[in-house]
Amino acid sequence: MIAHIANLGLWEWFKLRRRWMLWILLIFALMFAQLAVWGGYFSYQNLRDTGGEVTVPATLQQQQGRVPRTVRCNDLLSGDPARQPADLDTQVTAGLAAQCRQLAPTLPARLSRAYGSFTLPGSIPNALNTIQTLGLILMAILTASAIGIDYGAGTLRSVLTQGTGRWPYLTAKFLTLAVLTALGLLVAVASVALSSTIAGGLAGTPPDAAGTAATWSDTGIALWKAWVSILPYIALTAFVTVLARSSAAGMAIGLGYYFAEQLIVALLTNFFSWFQNVADFLLVRNISGWTGGAGGFPGTVLPDQTHAIVVLAVYTLALGGIAFWLFERRDVQGATGGG
Amino acid sequence: MTPSRTADAPAALDRPEYVIETSALTKRYGDVVAVQELTLRVPRGGVFGFLGPNGSGKTTTMGMLLGLVHPTSGDARIFGDPAGRPATLRLVGAMVETPTFYPYLSGRANLRYFQGIGRRGSPADIDRLLTLVDLGKRADSKFATYSLGMKQRLGIACALLGDPELVFLDEPTNGLDPAGVVEVRELIRELGTGGRTVVLSSHMLAETELVCDNVAVLSRGKLIAQGTIQELLREHDSLRLRTTDDAGAQTLLKGLPWVEGVAQQDGALVVTAPQDRSWEVARALADRQIYVRELVPLHRTLEEFFMEITGTDPTTGREQK
Repeated sequence: MIAHIANLGLWEWFKLRRRWMLWILLIFALMFAQLAVWGGYFSYQNLRDTGGEVTVPATLQQQQGRVPRTVRCNDLLSGDPARQPADLDTQVTAGLAAQCRQLAPTLPARLSRAYGSFTLPGSIPNALNTIQTLGLILMAILTASAIGIDYGAGTLRSVLTQGTGRWPYLTAKFLTLAVLTALGLLVAVASVALSSTIAGGLAGTPPDAAGTAATWSDTGIALWKAWVSILPYIALTAFVTVLARSSAAGMAIGLGYYFAEQLIVALLTNFFSWFQNVADFLLVRNISGWTGGAGGFPGTVLPDQTHAIVVLAVYTLALGGIAFWLFERRDVQGATGGG
Repeated sequence: MTPSRTADAPAALDRPEYVIETSALTKRYGDVVAVQELTLRVPRGGVFGFLGPNGSGKTTTMGMLLGLVHPTSGDARIFGDPAGRPATLRLVGAMVETPTFYPYLSGRANLRYFQGIGRRGSPADIDRLLTLVDLGKRADSKFATYSLGMKQRLGIACALLGDPELVFLDEPTNGLDPAGVVEVRELIRELGTGGRTVVLSSHMLAETELVCDNVAVLSRGKLIAQGTIQELLREHDSLRLRTTDDAGAQTLLKGLPWVEGVAQQDGALVVTAPQDRSWEVARALADRQIYVRELVPLHRTLEEFFMEITGTDPTTGREQK
């Protein structure tokens, strides 16, 4: 049976790799990974060049609707009159310089953190944090499409009459998607490693206080967490696609649920304090709790990792289980349209 | 009833007499009965016609045999095994309703895929089958660009992957041009030789009559006739008769035990009686000094038989008035 499922998985890959969608989604993932690295690099360069920036008090800014004006600490602390902001009152300038002096002792640590965010190994957990959120959405699209096409094009009938068996066929799809998720993350990590090496070279000598908190084992853990966090979302999308026999429904729920849950939690916890307890059992919050992500709206307390992994396992098993049950017991109809 | 086999024993090697057996097979969708108490036996070898107007339950029955539709009650077996068993389905080829393939894959890639998942035959078979169904030149075009006729041809090629012992073809000539219809008909005839069984579902009765050895007729989910075409068409044989005294002949013939009926039609008598007893009709009349001026065996077509027993038009499924 294992050989049979493995064979079905290989043929699932045969189909998927011929779809543009897979490669477009991968390009998106790689672009976001690069964004994390190069965003970190430019942020570091900016910090190094400016020595940090302080914001001009809002009451003095006459540029409503525009980005708040900032002043470079290196300019303020240089003592060079030519580098002082000419349009600001000397008292204000002195105040801003005082702020910069306060921040100055933290600069080496900030530089070190910024440097670590785009150089190995710290760049990988940092990039995975970005890719993981996008990965949920990309895998929701791929899952809905991979499962939904058999309903839309009516190919499920042709597939099952080949004697594949129902549950082995769906199992092979799940496993292929899980493997593709891992491979996608690995490719993204490889691209991050490459660009981190380049960015590290461009950045030159590391800051004095170099030495980041991230280690190579953190990288492995981040990769594992990112992969595990996507699995319940694959289960959710697969469940909706099988339930509605439609890739469109799967994609809609897969894309919409991520944002809808955060919005609902933010709204209802404001009105009802007890809703916080309910929210601790919702999918996206536990994904965030597991990966240690931002968890949507600021100020919310995320579930701890043990709680999160148990909830995610229950979601994966329950949603996946119902999807299998429906897939096994329902009659197979003709094409429903779409793909 | 052939007992169920265990594990992965190759069912077809035991070669039961009937490749398909159903017993009181029923499928309900809520209050609608799609198939009712269907008991059917399809003998091994040859072409078996599965006939019935639209909505008569043919495709639902095929779906139940192929494990796509779960029966409400009853039993269905293929090669003696419960219908839908994956190991058994690998000995079966099927094209049910409109052929469905992945639109973004070429015809060849689709066949490779279905061959791969079903582990049917070798990659070399694909070129042979594509040539057989005359798709060699368009094999590398995407399925989405195929005409209906080409899709049908690809569906037939897919059903033949792995040289299955039992082939289900549901309306295989849909969308084909006249030359294509003749080609497919000849192909089906050829497929039905050498121990392979082809189950052909069609409402093209003239075509079915040319290729089928046995037929089953379904109407409103019920089996209403089954047998060889010759048996079914002979069941109500008739003769057209003109005599020197039609009135006297009518009275005389009605008294014969093997004459089912005599009716006046278009200035002649239509006698419902076995055609091989026509000489006895002539002798009985001659014994009473009634002489035959014309005696013509009337041959019914399958279409006429079908309309008579189902009361419906085979194409539209509408009731005949």
